[in-house]
Amino acid sequence: MAGSGQIRQLKRRIRSVQSTQKITRAMEMIAASRIMRAQGRVRAARPYAEQIHEIIKGLAVSNEVREHPLLQQREQQRVAVIVNTSDRGLAGAYNANVLKVAERTIREEEGAGRQVDLYIVGRKGAGYFAYRGRRAEKLWEGISDTPTIDAAGEIAETVMTRYAAQELDRVWLVYTDFKSSLTQSPVRMELLPVKPEEFGGGQEIAPEFIFEPSQEELLERLIPRYVEAKVFHSLLESSASEHAARQRAMKSATDNAKEVAGNLSRIMNAARQEQITTEISEIVGGAEALGSR
Amino acid sequence: MADTLMHVEVVSAESHVFSADIRGIFARGVEGEIGILPGHQPAVIALDIGAVTLQMADDTRALVAVHRGVLFVGADGRVIVLADIAELGTEIDVERAERRKAEIERRLASGPDAALASSLAKQNLRLDVARSASGVPSAN
Repeated sequence: MAGSGQIRQLKRRIRSVQSTQKITRAMEMIAASRIMRAQGRVRAARPYAEQIHEIIKGLAVSNEVREHPLLQQREQQRVAVIVNTSDRGLAGAYNANVLKVAERTIREEEGAGRQVDLYIVGRKGAGYFAYRGRRAEKLWEGISDTPTIDAAGEIAETVMTRYAAQELDRVWLVYTDFKSSLTQSPVRMELLPVKPEEFGGGQEIAPEFIFEPSQEELLERLIPRYVEAKVFHSLLESSASEHAARQRAMKSATDNAKEVAGNLSRIMNAARQEQITTEISEIVGGAEALGSR
Repeated sequence: MADTLMHVEVVSAESHVFSADIRGIFARGVEGEIGILPGHQPAVIALDIGAVTLQMADDTRALVAVHRGVLFVGADGRVIVLADIAELGTEIDVERAERRKAEIERRLASGPDAALASSLAKQNLRLDVARSASGVPSAN
């Protein structure tokens, strides 16, 4: 009978949609708990960056920071773009949005006749650019989920060394800014050269301070830490944004699965009713045929 | 003087590690060993990779493993230890540090690598600090 075959098929589809729904709901809840943790890490990292910044500002009042290799402005011929993406998908438009900004930055720089070196964090970004035939200078995988300062240090070190060696004249950092669980926006920031204005407006450190080693050497040590903290901050913001985007994507997937399952069971019920009606009319028809004899 | 305390904050790049009122702090600066007691002159001192010892109010000692740090003594007497990595000795997981060390050594065996060598130094420091914090004498 065609009716029962259709019902069986519908039953199977409903079961499959429902098990998908269980998975997406679990992912939604995991992402939600990770947002909180990621936000906590963003907050926890703030005091360090602020203190380093304060000390540098204090030292910059009486010292010339412009001479530092990471602050030197040069005519720009070769630029680097660091783009923060995620390792895993199923995060809605998270990767697409940040990649769009990266793509635009690359086009602008190349349009101005500069050479662009690409640095990628996350497997998704790697896949995107590999598909478009663009070679990445370096790729970091497995750090975007829970970024560590070690990883941030490695990324910062890579570009700082090349900047100081005058192999790069500007470094863009493209990441996703976590504004709230509802809004995350892709942004780009000029990581290098560090602008001298960033160190302006500090309170002069009182003359009775002891410096060990000298103020210049301290600046020499602290400015790279400052750049590193910025990279770390971008990784943390991106990771919080990734989890938030995933939570939202999984929530709408769960809602959608619920709707699909509902529609399917309505169709199934109608089909079952139809089958029953047919059977009854067959029986009635059969009985009447017998009775009229 | 015996009763004076100073406030110290230990802040790493990843989090705020520790804050307390202490009697003194002893560390290895890039230009030599330093000790800071309450009432010290304001200072900014770059720290070597090593252990920072805090003498607590109850005269016990706490060890902190510090990597790429700066010690800041403010004009108001508060002390801030800022470091890439700062971990309390009692909070370091010795077993995990051992495993990481073994892993790094295994990778180092295939050829010299500056980044790996520095991670090895870091793990050694963490192990040293963790062992002396738990009272077990260090292996080296």
